[in-house]
Amino acid sequence: MKQIAIGRLLRSGTTGFVVGCRVNQLDAPSFGALVRVPLASNYDVYGIIYDIHIEDDGLVRQLITAQDVPEEVLLDNRENRNVPVEIAVLALGYQQDERIYHLLPPRPPLSLDAIYLCTMEEVAKFTAVGRFGYFRHILRDPSRPIDELLAAHLLAARTAHEKVGNTRWYTDALTELIALLRDDYQSLMTVLNAAGEIE
Amino acid sequence: MNDEKSEIMELGSQGNSGEIGYIVGGGLKANLQARLSVPAQTVQEGAFVVIESGGWLFYGLVTDLQLGSTDPRFADEQSEARLPTQLARMLHGQTLYTNLEILTALMMEQGPEPGTEEYDAWYQQVLDEQIRPEPVKTVPQHHAQVRLAQAGDIAEIFGKEGKGAFFRIGDTLEGGHPVCVDLDKLVQRSAGIFGATGTGKSFLTRVILSGLIHRDKTAVLIFDMHNEYGPDDTASDTGLRVPGLKNKFRNKVRMVGLGRGATIRGEQPDYTLEIAESDIAPEDVMMLAQELNLRETTPTTLEALRVSFGHESWFHEFKHMRVNAYQYDEEGKRYPAPDSVAAWAESAGVHPAAAEALHSKLRRLFNAPYIVEEPAANALKQMIDNLDNGQHVVLSFGKHETDLDYLFVSNLLTRRIRDVWERRTNDFRSGHQGASEPRPLVIVVEEAHKLLNREMASQTAFSTIAREMRKYYVTLLIIDQRPSQIYDEVMSQLGTRVTGWLGDSDDIHAVLTGLAGREALRGMLARLQPKEEVLMLGWGVPMPIVIRSRRYNEAFWDDLLGKQAGQSNEQIMKELGY
Repeated sequence: MKQIAIGRLLRSGTTGFVVGCRVNQLDAPSFGALVRVPLASNYDVYGIIYDIHIEDDGLVRQLITAQDVPEEVLLDNRENRNVPVEIAVLALGYQQDERIYHLLPPRPPLSLDAIYLCTMEEVAKFTAVGRFGYFRHILRDPSRPIDELLAAHLLAARTAHEKVGNTRWYTDALTELIALLRDDYQSLMTVLNAAGEIE
Repeated sequence: MNDEKSEIMELGSQGNSGEIGYIVGGGLKANLQARLSVPAQTVQEGAFVVIESGGWLFYGLVTDLQLGSTDPRFADEQSEARLPTQLARMLHGQTLYTNLEILTALMMEQGPEPGTEEYDAWYQQVLDEQIRPEPVKTVPQHHAQVRLAQAGDIAEIFGKEGKGAFFRIGDTLEGGHPVCVDLDKLVQRSAGIFGATGTGKSFLTRVILSGLIHRDKTAVLIFDMHNEYGPDDTASDTGLRVPGLKNKFRNKVRMVGLGRGATIRGEQPDYTLEIAESDIAPEDVMMLAQELNLRETTPTTLEALRVSFGHESWFHEFKHMRVNAYQYDEEGKRYPAPDSVAAWAESAGVHPAAAEALHSKLRRLFNAPYIVEEPAANALKQMIDNLDNGQHVVLSFGKHETDLDYLFVSNLLTRRIRDVWERRTNDFRSGHQGASEPRPLVIVVEEAHKLLNREMASQTAFSTIAREMRKYYVTLLIIDQRPSQIYDEVMSQLGTRVTGWLGDSDDIHAVLTGLAGREALRGMLARLQPKEEVLMLGWGVPMPIVIRSRRYNEAFWDDLLGKQAGQSNEQIMKELGY
């Protein structure tokens, strides 16, 4: 199983954390992808990427206003930034002693811990446990683009499950989402409209 | 016993499938609410359902189906146009739903786990009828499973066809499971069959009467106003031949014609009935007050006639009096002829005009050919003997089909028969030597509202029977299309009511008078199929149920009489009266 490191932890809390990465590491992580932070032996924290943020730095501002900047300079400033790309991750659960929990992690990761992108097998394993308990973490904060995040997650997870022959997962996940949101017409229809894009 | 047990267990085992939903709310006063988990088309109003909860089975009727949604906007918006088909279907499955309203009527303990010793002991108590369904007194738990009743459930509640007095009257709408009625219980109190014209009342009545005659525990007297129960008939809608009771129970049914030389649909009756003038009492005439438009003075005039000529002769004497007959004395003064109505009125202290008016109005009776001075035979006694001897009587009115004929004859006969049964019951109860228990008698009355309406009910023998005669082994089976016209007091005494579709709200109200859950049943009754679907309710059935009534056709007769091919000689001789 090849592990893809996408960065190191900048800051964290119980409900989520922010990862910093270099621009040349940015090919791997994507919005809605599951990530894993190995902390100690037999203790991993899982999360989902809900935001990828690129802050400006002083040099970039100057370059934008300058004229006739050589291509090499632009490329150098883009790739060798002083400020890292920030990836915001929402904590979805953890694994301890081979058992996966869809609960907030007991301890958050520490600064500079390495973050890895989950493999397809890990995605299938994490999302198949229980009855989609991790959905409640995603649905908790309406300030996030929940609909888009869920659509991206469903697309990725469906692919992972279909790869291992589980064709029911997607239907079950949608059924659970509808059950969770059926008293909130606006949210449910937004989520379903987004899900409709990946049908 | 073992065979029977295994058979019912087999029927019962079918009851574990067919779940259609689960309880989500309701109560004893308000009906239970269940969320339907199958397409709404799977269940219809009137369906008989079973709810399993905490070791108890609750039996109920679906009285309504309601569409609902978790948010009205899910129902308002046609989301199938916005979302992919599968997604829309999943959304509808969770946000749009159908709720069932269930009127629970009975509950019964489910018993221990089958296969255990405790279960065997418990089941024996069920077979011995020590454990029976009881009226519902509590509610099932939330999320208790609801399923359509299976054959075993129906047999448990309504009895098993062929066992004892249980007679199949129809089938459930869903599943077509047989629904039986206990014929012995049915006739213990008066019963009614109602329905608008063309709803199959007559066919259903034929089915029930066939069952009663075949059961042979009760004597049946049918006042066959339209000559449709005794002789063969032709169905008005299909044009098919409809066998009459006489045809099928040749030795058990006596067909009686009204009046000498009467024929019924071209057939000769077994004998004819003539009414002796001496049998007519003033009360019999008063029953016709509405039909003959009699005045307030009539009771006084009739009483004077009875005083003048006696109970047995008043009718004959009055009939032969002349009207407007006068004589003149030597001075040319006019005075009533001695054999005139006016002369009798003056002598009896009655106003001559009132007496002459009564005479004029009774002319229709005077001219009735079946009222004679001296009947050729005592047909009334013969009818009573027939009813005593295990036979059944169909009195066909032949060509005498007017309301007057029907009211007069049925009332007069019923009064006489009632007197006989009352006397016999009193003798039996007081322990008179040689007095035996009277054979239960059911009098079948068509167009019952003519005899049991508000104006007449207090006077006729029929209302007395409906109110009190259960103690005297006589009950009524009334058949009518306007139950609202029947006196409330009589309706309230009806034990069992079987009703087809009724279009008039007053009729629906009348049929449901005095019953629990009538509000829920009202809508169900109004939406019955116009043909063959009937609602059975009341004392004679454990709980209300909508059934598709049994068809009165060759298959029915094969079912009912088919086994007779294998009768023993002894049974055949017994049937022939030896």
